[in-house]
Amino acid sequence: MLALQAKGLTVTARIDGDDVPAIRALSFDLAPGKILGLVGESGAGKSMVGRSIAQLLPAGFMIAAGSLLFEGEDLVRMAPARRRGLLGRAIAFIPQAPMTALNPVRTIGAQFDEHLARFGEAGRKQRRERALAMLAAARLPQAGDLLGQYPHQLSGGMCQRVLIAFAFASNPRLVIADEPTTALDVTMHPQILRLIAEMQRRHGTAVIFITHDLRLAAQLCDDVIVMYAGRAVESGPARAVLSKPAHPYTRCLQLANPSLRSERRALYVMPEQMPSLRQLRQMLGCHFAPRCPLAAEDCRRSEPPQIEIAAGRSVACIRAAATPGIATTRRATAVPDSSGRPVLQVEKLAKHYAIDRGLFTNARTFAAVKEASFNIAENEFVALVGESGSGKSTIAKLLVGLEQPSGGRILLNGEDLTDPSMRRGALRALSLQMVFQDPQSALNPRRRVTNIVTQAMEAGSRHASWEERQRRTSELLAEVGLSADFAARLPGQLSGGQRQRVNIARALCSIPKILIADEIVSGLDVSIQAQLLNLLARLRAELGFAMLFISHDLSVVADLCKNVLVMYRGEIVDQVPKEAVFADPQHAHTRALLSSVPPDEPEAAWTLRTRNVS
Amino acid sequence: MAGPLFRSLRSMRVLIALGMILCIAGCAIFAGWIAPHDPGDQNLLSILTPPAWVEGGDPSYPLGTDSLGRDVMSRLIYGARTAMLVAFFASIGAMIIGSILAHISGYFGGAIDWIIGRLVDVWMSFPPVILSLILMVGLGVGLGKVILAIVLVDWTRFCRVLRSEVLIVTRNDYVAAARLLGFTHWQTIVREVLPATLPLLITLVSLEMAIAVVVEAILSFVGLGVGADQPAWGQMIADARQYVYQSPWNLLLPIAAIFLTVAAFNLLGDGLRRTLDVRLAETGR
Amino acid sequence: MIATVVQLITRRLLAAIPILLVVSALLFGVLRLLPIDPAAMSLPPTATIAEVEAKRREMGLDRSLPEQYLIWLRDALHGDFGRSIALRRDAGSLVAATLPATIELAVAAMAIAALLGVGGGLLMFHLRGTLFEAVADFASILLLSIPEFLWGLILLFVFGVALQLLPFTGEVAPGLPLPHITGFLLLDALLVGRFDVFLSACQHLILPAFALGLAFSPTIMRVLRSSLFDVYHEDYIQQARLRGLSEGKILLGHALKNASLPTLTLAGVQFGILFSGTLLVEVIYSYPGMGNLMVDAVRNADLPLIQAIALTYCIVVLMINTAVDGLYVVLNPKLRVR
Repeated sequence: MLALQAKGLTVTARIDGDDVPAIRALSFDLAPGKILGLVGESGAGKSMVGRSIAQLLPAGFMIAAGSLLFEGEDLVRMAPARRRGLLGRAIAFIPQAPMTALNPVRTIGAQFDEHLARFGEAGRKQRRERALAMLAAARLPQAGDLLGQYPHQLSGGMCQRVLIAFAFASNPRLVIADEPTTALDVTMHPQILRLIAEMQRRHGTAVIFITHDLRLAAQLCDDVIVMYAGRAVESGPARAVLSKPAHPYTRCLQLANPSLRSERRALYVMPEQMPSLRQLRQMLGCHFAPRCPLAAEDCRRSEPPQIEIAAGRSVACIRAAATPGIATTRRATAVPDSSGRPVLQVEKLAKHYAIDRGLFTNARTFAAVKEASFNIAENEFVALVGESGSGKSTIAKLLVGLEQPSGGRILLNGEDLTDPSMRRGALRALSLQMVFQDPQSALNPRRRVTNIVTQAMEAGSRHASWEERQRRTSELLAEVGLSADFAARLPGQLSGGQRQRVNIARALCSIPKILIADEIVSGLDVSIQAQLLNLLARLRAELGFAMLFISHDLSVVADLCKNVLVMYRGEIVDQVPKEAVFADPQHAHTRALLSSVPPDEPEAAWTLRTRNVS
Repeated sequence: MAGPLFRSLRSMRVLIALGMILCIAGCAIFAGWIAPHDPGDQNLLSILTPPAWVEGGDPSYPLGTDSLGRDVMSRLIYGARTAMLVAFFASIGAMIIGSILAHISGYFGGAIDWIIGRLVDVWMSFPPVILSLILMVGLGVGLGKVILAIVLVDWTRFCRVLRSEVLIVTRNDYVAAARLLGFTHWQTIVREVLPATLPLLITLVSLEMAIAVVVEAILSFVGLGVGADQPAWGQMIADARQYVYQSPWNLLLPIAAIFLTVAAFNLLGDGLRRTLDVRLAETGR
Repeated sequence: MIATVVQLITRRLLAAIPILLVVSALLFGVLRLLPIDPAAMSLPPTATIAEVEAKRREMGLDRSLPEQYLIWLRDALHGDFGRSIALRRDAGSLVAATLPATIELAVAAMAIAALLGVGGGLLMFHLRGTLFEAVADFASILLLSIPEFLWGLILLFVFGVALQLLPFTGEVAPGLPLPHITGFLLLDALLVGRFDVFLSACQHLILPAFALGLAFSPTIMRVLRSSLFDVYHEDYIQQARLRGLSEGKILLGHALKNASLPTLTLAGVQFGILFSGTLLVEVIYSYPGMGNLMVDAVRNADLPLIQAIALTYCIVVLMINTAVDGLYVVLNPKLRVR
C-alpha cells in the first residue's frame, strides 16, 4: 500500500474575490520507504503540499478538489480529530527554520517529553531514555546535558538534529522535510542530509523532500517532481530527470545553476520571473511560455497535458523533444583589461569587540577580524567566501565606514581611509559603494525608485534639479535592465530580484571605482540569481569597476570572480585564484566549503569531507 | 505620509474620535459665544440649583448652579477651554523634548544613549503624580505652570517609547546606505528615520493629550491647578464633592466631561495606531 | 540561576543608590525654590525678627544650599528626616505610621487589577475573530479612559451615596479600636482576634481598592491579549500544531508562558504607577494613608514632610521595579543562561 498518494490535488487561494489555484491537479504516488523530491523555486507551490497534508493552510487557502490518501485514507475528508492524531505520530515534519521551531522558554527535555507522551510512552523515566536514545542516534554529543538546555543555547545545526530526532521518534510512516538545510550554514548541509537519509533507511519511512536545489534532489531522492507555478511540469526517477531533463524549465534551471567545474559555461538566464498568483488569474496556456525558449503559438493557447514519455516519467510540455537542444555557450567573458593597479589595499585590518563588560569583571575581547590583508585591482572581481560568523560582513562594514577598525589600514586609491585626519565620508562616497544584502531593509519603503537610485545626488550640499535626477534615473534603470516605468514605483511593489537591481543602481549612481556586494544573491531564486550575476558581468564590461563579492556559496562566485578569499573565524585562510580553489583546495575549510555543494552530474557521488560537529 | 493619514480617516474609531474632539474644541474656541453666562458670575440667591429638566430647575441655568451660584454649563464650556489648552500645548511640548532626545539617543547610541538613558531613568523613578504635585508646589498655580509641569513630567515617556522605535528603524540597511551615499547625520535623521517614526509619534501625541487632560483635572482637584479664577473641571469636582447629597449633578457632569474628552483622545490614538502602523495593519491586530 | 538573579538584583540596588541621591537632591533643590520661610512658619506670628533670625540659624537655613543638603543627607542616613513644621512631629515617624495603610490599599488594588486584567485578557483573546471582540476592544478603550480618581468618585457616588451599600470614609467604622502590632490593620485585626474590626476594615477597603483596580486592569487586559496574539504568530506554535498537539495544550503549555513575560513586566511597571495613584484615592475616601498626609503637607508647604514622603514613594517604586526586573530574569531563560 502506498504511503501517500495524491490524486488531482488542487489548492486555491482567495485573491480579490476569486479562487486562484495555487496547486493544480497534482498527482503522485509515494511508496513506503521511498524519498520523493518536490523541486521548485519560491512560489511554485511546493510548501503548500506539505501544509495540505497537515491541513494547516494559511487564511484564504483551501483544498478545492482532489484527494490525498495516506495509507488509503483520505486526509482531506478525514475527521479533524483523527487527522490531528496522525500528526506527530504517523506523519512527522522537519521544519525549515530550526532555531525558531522550539519554544524558547521550555527546555528541550520538557518539550521532548511532551512529544513522546503523545504516543503512549508510559513513565517519565522511559520517555527520558527514549529521548536520549533518539538524540544519540542523531549524533548529538552529551545528550543528557542537552535535555536540560534551552533552544537558544544550541547552534542551528544542533537544533535541526534535535528536530529530526523529534520527527523520527514516533517511527513515522511519512516524514515531510521542508527545505531542512536552507537556514543552516553551508558546511552543515551534507551532515544534516546524511542524517535524514540514515534515519529514513533505519525506520523505513517514506519522505517528501522539499527543496529548491535540483542537484540536491538528484543526490538524495528516488523520484522527483519539478513544480512550476503550482503545476507539476515534470516527474520521474531523480537521476533520470536530471541527467536528461525533458521539460524546458528543468533544463533551464539546471543551466542557471553555476557550475563548479573548470569549464566556465555561461549561466542560462531566464527572462522575468515565475508568475505570481495574481498574474496566474489572467494567464492562458502554458504558464512557462513567457520565459520558455521553445515556446510556440500552441503553447500559449492551452495548457499542455501530462504526457508519459517513459516508464514512470511524465512531462507537461508539447515540445519536450526539443529540450536537449537548449544549451549555453562557453562564455566569451568580456572582462575589461585590468591595469593591475590596486584600487583597494587592505593591510592587517583587525576588529575586536569587547563583550561581557560587567561591573567587576574585565572585558573579554572577541576578535571578529584578525589581521586581514588583501588587494583588489582595477576592474577585478574578488570573492570573499565564508560562513556566518566568519567575519566577512564585519570586513564589509569596516571597508564602508560603518565600523571603525581596531587596527590596520585601508587604502583607497592610495588614500588612507583609516587616517583620522582625512574627511573619510566624502572620499568614500565617491569611489566606494556597497550593495546591501537584505532587499527588504535596504530600500526605504517610503521613497520612490527615482528618489532611491539618485539618492546620492541629494547628499551633502549637492542640490540636483528634478530634471537631472529623472535623467540619471532613466540611465541607471536602463543599465540594470529595468524599464522606465519602474521609476515611480515604491519598493513594496517590487519583487526581490527587482529590488536588488534598484539596490545596484543606487550604488552605481556616483560611478564608484569599487563596489562591495554583501550576499546580494543569497535568498533569491536560482533563476533570479542567474539574472543578477549576468547583470553584474555585463555592467563590469560596460562601466568598469572592481568588486568585492561576499558570499557563503562558492558555486556562485565561481562564475564571476577572479580571485577567492576564504574566511574562517575571522581569518583569511586561503587567498588564491579561483581555478586553484576548485582544482586543488588547500585549507581544510575551503575543502569543507567545496564539498558542501552537491555535484552537477546526478551520477557523480557526492564526496563529503566532514568537519566535526559543533 | 499624507496617504496613510487619509487612509486613517476611513477608520470608524478615528472618525468618531475626531468628531468628539471637534465638538469639545469648538466649545473651547467659541466659549464666549456659546456660554449662557460668565463663568465667574456668582448669584448667591440661586445656589445649588439642579439642571433645568429636574424639578426646581431654572431654564436660565440649563445645567444648574454650583455652591456660589455660578452657572454649571458655562463653567463646563470654559473648563473645556482650559482642558484643551493644556492638552494641546503640554503634549506638543513633551513631544518636542522627548522626540528630539529619543532620536539623538537611538540614532547615535553609545555614550550619548547611555547618558540620556540614565537621565530618563532618574526622571522616571519619580512617580508622575508625586512629581507633578511637587513641581506645582515649586512653580505656583497657573495655566502656564500646569503646562510646564506636565511637559517636565511626561517627556520621559515619549523619549523611552520613541527610542525603541528609533532603534528598530536605524537598524535598517537603508539608513546605513544613506550615510554611505554621503548624507550628513542631520540629513539622515530627518529624511530617513523621522518619516518612519512619525506614525508612532502622532499616536503618542494623541495619547499624551488624554493624559494631560487627566493630570490637569487631578491638579485642579487638589487645588494646585490653573488657579481659582479660571474654570477647570477638576475644581468643579472638588467643589461639588462637599455638596454631593444636595446636588449630585454638579459632581456627575464634570466627571462625564473629563471621561468623554479622555475617551475621545484615547480612541483617536488607538485608531491612528491601527491605521498608521503598517505592521499592525497587516497582521490584523 | 540563583547567582545571576542575585547578581542582577545587587547591580540594580547599587544603581538605585545614585538615583536616590540625585532624586533627593532634586527634591531638595526644587522645594527650596519656594518663597517660603520655614523658620517664620515654625514660630508663632508674634515672633520678632531677631527670633526668626535665631530660628533660621538653628535650622541651618543660613548655610549654602549644597551644605544644607549634605546636612539633611547625614541626618537622613541616621533615620532623622526632620520635623514636620505643621504637625510638629518627627517626619519619619509620621511616614511610618501611614505607610502600611497605603501598602494595604495598593496590594489589594493590584490583586483586583491582576484578576480582572488576566481574566479579561483571556476572555478577549478567546473571543478573537468574533463580533464580540470589536465590542470588547472598544469597551476596553473606554474603560482605559477612566482614571483612578474618576473611578473613585463614581464608585463613591453610586455605591456610597446613591445606593448606600458601602462605607466611603476612613479605614474602619468609627468607634472600633485600632490594634497596632505590625501596623497593617487587616493583619493586626486577625492577630488579636477581633473579626468585627477585620470585617469593617475590609468593607472600607472595597471601594478604594476597586477604584484603583478598575483603573489599571484595562491596560493589563490589553497587553495580555496582544502578547497572546504575538505569540500565536510565532513559528513554534505552528510547529507544535504540526506535532499534533491540541489547541488547549498549546495555549496552556506554550503560549501562556511566553505571553506572560511582557504582561508581567508591564504589570510590574503598572504597580509602580498604581502605588503613586493611591494618593488620589486616599484623598477621595479620606483614607488615612501617605497620600492624605502628602496632600496636607503640600497645602501647608511643609517642606521636611514633603521631602520625606516623596522620597518614600520613590524608594517603594524603585524597589518594585527592581523586583520586576529580577522576576523577568527568573522567568526568561534567555537572560538566565548563556
